[in-house]
Amino acid sequence: MRHGKYPLIVTFLVPPVLLYVVFVVSPYLQTFQISTTSWLGYSAEADPVGLANFTALLHDGRVWNALKNNAVLLAVVPVLTITLGLFFSTMLSMGGRKGRAGVTGVRGTAVYRMVYFFPQVLSVVIIALLWKEVYHPNSGLLNGALRAVGLPAPTWLGDPRTAFWCVLAVMVWSNVGFYVVLFGAAMSAIPRDIYEAVLLDGASRWTTLRRITIPLLWDTVQVAWIYLAIAALDGFILIQQMTNGGPNFSSDVIGLRMYETAFGSESKFGYASAIGVVLFFLTLSVAVLALRTARRDRIEYS
Amino acid sequence: MTILDRPASEDAAAGERRAPRDRALRREIGVANVFSHGFLLLWGALTVLPLLWMLLSSFKSDAEILSDPWGLPGALRFENWARAWTEAHIGRYFLNSAIVVAGSLTLTMLMGATAAYVFARYEFRGRQFFYYLFVGGMMFPAFLALVPLFFVVRNAGLFGTWTGLILVYAAYSLPFTVFFLTAFFRTLPTTVAEAALMDGCGHFRLFFRVMLPMARPGLISVAIFNFLSQWNQFILPQVLMQGDDSKWVLAQGLTALAVSQGYQGDYSGLFAGLTIATLPVLAVYVLFQRQVQSGLTAGQLK
Amino acid sequence: MNRRDILRRTAAAGLLATPAAGLLAGCATGGGGDDDKGETYKGTKSEQNPLGVKEDAPLEVVIFNGGFGEDYAKAHEAMYKEKYPKAEIKHSATQEINKTLQPRFVDGTPPDVVNNSGAGQIDFNGLVSQNAIADLRELLDAPSLDVPGKTVRDTLLPGAVEVGSYDGNFLVLNYTYTAYGIWHSTKLFGERGWQYAKTWDEHIALCKQIKAAGIAPWTYAGKHPRYMSWPLIATAIKFGGPSVATAIDNLEPNAWKSDAMKTAADAWYQIVKDKYILDGSPGLDHVQSQTAWCQGKAAFISCGSWLENEQKKVTPEGFNMTIQPTPSLGSGDKLPFEALRGTAGEPFMVPAKAKNLAGGLEYFRVMLSKKGAQDFTRKVSSLTVVAGSTEGVELPFGLDTVVKALDASGSNGFNWVYNNYYRKLERELVDAACGEFFSGRTSPADFLDQCQKGADSIAQDSSIKKYKRTA
Repeated sequence: MRHGKYPLIVTFLVPPVLLYVVFVVSPYLQTFQISTTSWLGYSAEADPVGLANFTALLHDGRVWNALKNNAVLLAVVPVLTITLGLFFSTMLSMGGRKGRAGVTGVRGTAVYRMVYFFPQVLSVVIIALLWKEVYHPNSGLLNGALRAVGLPAPTWLGDPRTAFWCVLAVMVWSNVGFYVVLFGAAMSAIPRDIYEAVLLDGASRWTTLRRITIPLLWDTVQVAWIYLAIAALDGFILIQQMTNGGPNFSSDVIGLRMYETAFGSESKFGYASAIGVVLFFLTLSVAVLALRTARRDRIEYS
Repeated sequence: MTILDRPASEDAAAGERRAPRDRALRREIGVANVFSHGFLLLWGALTVLPLLWMLLSSFKSDAEILSDPWGLPGALRFENWARAWTEAHIGRYFLNSAIVVAGSLTLTMLMGATAAYVFARYEFRGRQFFYYLFVGGMMFPAFLALVPLFFVVRNAGLFGTWTGLILVYAAYSLPFTVFFLTAFFRTLPTTVAEAALMDGCGHFRLFFRVMLPMARPGLISVAIFNFLSQWNQFILPQVLMQGDDSKWVLAQGLTALAVSQGYQGDYSGLFAGLTIATLPVLAVYVLFQRQVQSGLTAGQLK
Repeated sequence: MNRRDILRRTAAAGLLATPAAGLLAGCATGGGGDDDKGETYKGTKSEQNPLGVKEDAPLEVVIFNGGFGEDYAKAHEAMYKEKYPKAEIKHSATQEINKTLQPRFVDGTPPDVVNNSGAGQIDFNGLVSQNAIADLRELLDAPSLDVPGKTVRDTLLPGAVEVGSYDGNFLVLNYTYTAYGIWHSTKLFGERGWQYAKTWDEHIALCKQIKAAGIAPWTYAGKHPRYMSWPLIATAIKFGGPSVATAIDNLEPNAWKSDAMKTAADAWYQIVKDKYILDGSPGLDHVQSQTAWCQGKAAFISCGSWLENEQKKVTPEGFNMTIQPTPSLGSGDKLPFEALRGTAGEPFMVPAKAKNLAGGLEYFRVMLSKKGAQDFTRKVSSLTVVAGSTEGVELPFGLDTVVKALDASGSNGFNWVYNNYYRKLERELVDAACGEFFSGRTSPADFLDQCQKGADSIAQDSSIKKYKRTA
């Protein structure tokens, strides 16, 4: 139909594809190749070992322990973040709705949104360093406050019962703002007439949220879910900087395990690459699963 | 679902026109308002407090930081900032980061926009394949490919150069950029493009003269996201820009500062360095937050 | 032009071919070793130049930028340059030795001198098992730069060579001499009228007294609890003799569950059980716990002799930190109270594929000269493995106590090296076990069990090269 589209397609597509294949795809592919060797990383010698690394993985208790933590992150972080994100963004966009209904709304919506988004702007290193100090058992912000009101002051990152959850909280903390803005933006795109009609029918806020907002936002929630799921499978920089997986491996995650195996306490690059390959397929299946579930739900609603 | 990207002022005006409707509803929302306002404030405080604390700590002396986390600095010790700026060379790294990110951002946007445009607007063989090739890259942490990547960069003669960093940054930013912009280009009305083609406008002209200007909000917000992530990148430069510390970027300088803080106990210098690194990024965000937020709407909702 | 250059050109010609070429040249198949032989710099050996340094060959030095900083290395480089004015010296300092250098090792283009230290250190086991480090024995037999009539070997403190040896090859030069012990402030103790206890029972009694005075007896680096494994193992060695350490180093079955280790763990459990540890310690990292100690919040801390330098900025005037050996368990101890763990530390190496290998060795000769060693001690307040390096140097208070403690320890000094052989065992596995034990979540038996399981997992891992040492 369209004449002369191929020159454009070629000119526009070849440079990015080239750049991407050279610097992103090919290194990933080499990772697959390395995962079938016993390469130790400091010489050119690497013996092919077939799938030995992968069978060793199956019996590696530390890997399973890390995977278990990733599973918890996967289950908790997206749910918590999305719930909080929806909660706050609903509160904030009440402003628009109330304006419509003639009720004074939440003042300073724009300021809230701006402030909530702050953590998203900071580098993970800064966030980790900051919170490490916040959780400091003696001179940290948190225990300073707890002591002031006479509550006991736990060791937070020093206790295997709490360390993991402390990092998880920071993960949620740093992400919620983004989703408040994201959902808020999506909500503002929902036609106002729908709300007005429902409000006139006397529906409660909860019903409105459940019956109108969330179904209409489902695409966005789905995107959010995938992002968060991937973030939960990674999470490595934050954990490395805050607890380095401890105490006693209680906050270990698979990304950190891979890093430690290659660059940390050992230099088993072949084995680390095998962990990487497993992580690759895990991420892939989580993303696909998330897409599938979300799609089915959407059909239900529409 | 349609996109109604109306400015907020318009909504407010519409709200004023419509007089009070339902007093019971108003009361219900009023009660909820106090409740919700409390939560909103709480979360706002949670977000701001650590950042404020970082700022305050950058003015404190080491002894003040260690002894009283909630205390205010005894004096505005700008010498901490000066020390971080000169001794830790934060100033130079700042400039280096600016140069690298300026280059990589330009490249990312150019390549991302052209590729996304082709994916969004043209049918051709292998379109799906290439699209998912790009988008798939969003799922995997870069460090997975670190070692092979080093050789790719080195063999291309780009090791330890800003050009190398620029190319790699751009390559690793492409997945999100392509994903986001493809969705964005799809939201643009097709009629304009068809009309332009009818008028004999060439495919290239159409892109540069019509589509690109129309995509401005999306381009700006994805540019901001890329700016943030490239500015905060630290794993890639650490491996690809070694040795010559006059070419380091800010993140490297900061991690160096963080580690040497661990060995020298220069807490105030660390907080000053973190603050110096954070402020411009926050400033960029505050200046462009409207674009970020409106861009989000358009990018996420297909 | 060698094969790698050809590959590189080919790669440059067609960027798409790059990854394949990179793989070929870099990791899996290209046994790159022999390619570079022709490129190394060699000079003629002579009496003046026993290592055969090429005088105009460039030298690349990579320094770990940690507690010692990098200025001392610049001074050493200047000394090298004085001797070889035509040599261009490339200096760089990093905290991430591993990430920075790993790819260069694979590529066969490592620097000439590497100070492989810090948290981002490269695992020596991996390096050694891949023959990536040059043997330094030639250096040992070369004459000392400024001690007439002596070889480099003659100028070193006892034990310096053993620590860096793997299967009889001397591969790693550990430059500093480090003592490990228990630290306290003589100022604090003087004010309160306390006396450092020489036996464990007295130590516990003292802890009770300290606690009653409102000060926590102990604190430790909860994020790196392995710091507490040092006094515990030291107690066991003093009780059971040096063979306790040999068994652990050699990964002997149940080495961690020896009677000596059991007795030591039971003894140390007392400070956990009686809550003689500063609240919140498990959440502190090393700097934080050391700072709490410097602020007088705790009386004792376990650390090596780098402590004084690390805490320089936050130590109050007249704090007078003092190192002491671990208390004896009783009269049945095989080693006297004075016995202290002293060992060479701060590893330096010359990669086997360094282009200026001779220059790297020569640089070590400069470091190990009396002048180089004294300069180091003056700059960073730390001892070196060179005998007499403290002569004519005014030592700060803490370091002075280290020198005296080492003197008192004399031939009773002991050491262990499993942490060098199997980095993961100390850094990850024993570390985690110590975290559980000293925060009171496991019993002494469980603690030793966890350590033993860690050691067994290393012993059973066929991908890890094993080393043995005698006595």
